[in-house]
Amino acid sequence: MCNACGNPAVPGHWTEAGAASPGDRLRARYQRTALLNRLLRPYGLSVADGGAVPGYQLSTLSGAVTLVNDLGALWEEAERLIGRPVDPLDARYLNG
Amino acid sequence: MADLMRLTILGGYLGSGKTTWARHQLYVGAFGPDVHVIVNEAAEVPVDDALLTAPGGVTLLAGGCCCCTGQAALIAALRGLCDARSQGKGPSRVLLETSGLADPGAIVRAIQADPVLIHHVRVDEVLVAVDALHAAAQLTAEPLGRRQIEAADRLILTKVDAAPDLDRLRATLRVLNPTAPITAAVRGEDVALPPETKADPLPLPALPEETAPIRPTQIHLPKGMDWSVFTLWLSALLHARGNDLVRVKGVVRTPAGRLLLQTVRKVVQAPEILPESAHAEDDVIVFIGRGYDPANLPRSLAHFTG
Repeated sequence: MCNACGNPAVPGHWTEAGAASPGDRLRARYQRTALLNRLLRPYGLSVADGGAVPGYQLSTLSGAVTLVNDLGALWEEAERLIGRPVDPLDARYLNG
Repeated sequence: MADLMRLTILGGYLGSGKTTWARHQLYVGAFGPDVHVIVNEAAEVPVDDALLTAPGGVTLLAGGCCCCTGQAALIAALRGLCDARSQGKGPSRVLLETSGLADPGAIVRAIQADPVLIHHVRVDEVLVAVDALHAAAQLTAEPLGRRQIEAADRLILTKVDAAPDLDRLRATLRVLNPTAPITAAVRGEDVALPPETKADPLPLPALPEETAPIRPTQIHLPKGMDWSVFTLWLSALLHARGNDLVRVKGVVRTPAGRLLLQTVRKVVQAPEILPESAHAEDDVIVFIGRGYDPANLPRSLAHFTG
């Protein structure tokens, strides 16, 4: 755990369990970031996984950036910014 | 993972036979040579601790149900055991007998949210005792009774020797929790259940707290489904619908191996790697929940992968 920021407080988020090698892990990070950007762009949000900073950086169009530790925290922060949760069962996500 | 303290949670409604079951199982040594027992009683005046003896000792937490008001006491007790363990004196297994008013799901949630316990405790199994005599009445009227069943990994039917109609009860339990195996016990001793004959489940009227019945849905993951895409979708789904999605369970093939995925409401257990086997049930995920159209789950997943 980092003494300055307390991260990571828990050992690996469950979503990161599926990778066996560092290559897999890196690929998964790129893939997640790309998908998150595709999903969140309509809400005016963008996501970066800087590499040097742990977790994700969630930015609004006005330039405000929040650091979040994992996907669970990311969805929480997105809900706070949007005003409602990003719901995969929302009609916008049901067409092909 | 091997040296984590293994925690078994034993829940069940008031008077469902939790202590009786635990007492016999401890007597026959079902939980190993050094098991420590934590007994929780919602009432101020405890009874159960007098009935139980365990090789690793018994801790009593009285005067507060450990899924809500007594949660801090439970966390402190577990941390104490972890402390002792790191000095080589603690137990390797712990059996937690909850009060009859506890929601086991809430306890799992509290343990996973604790920054110390998450490193030291593995929740082995959530057992829920079901009173074969009275469960029917509890399930039709009590939201809590249903929540306990929903949170179980294994259901133990108690008092089966005195119960009139096991088939209907078993069918009802399967409606509430289709994945948990059902075993039976009489005064704590395991007994074999008679073969199940087809029976109609009991009607489960909507209770004030819950509006729709809980239904299981199976999703076959598309071939070559990527774990990171699937979990991104699932994490969003659990965040938005976690209170409705009572349970998600399945085995997913990943580059790291076969991963066992299990959730209780919004809590996801750290995925466990299972040994290889040519099992046909891989990449099938069971969703148990309410408040959504089951057909929308694969459609939404397809949108995320597309």
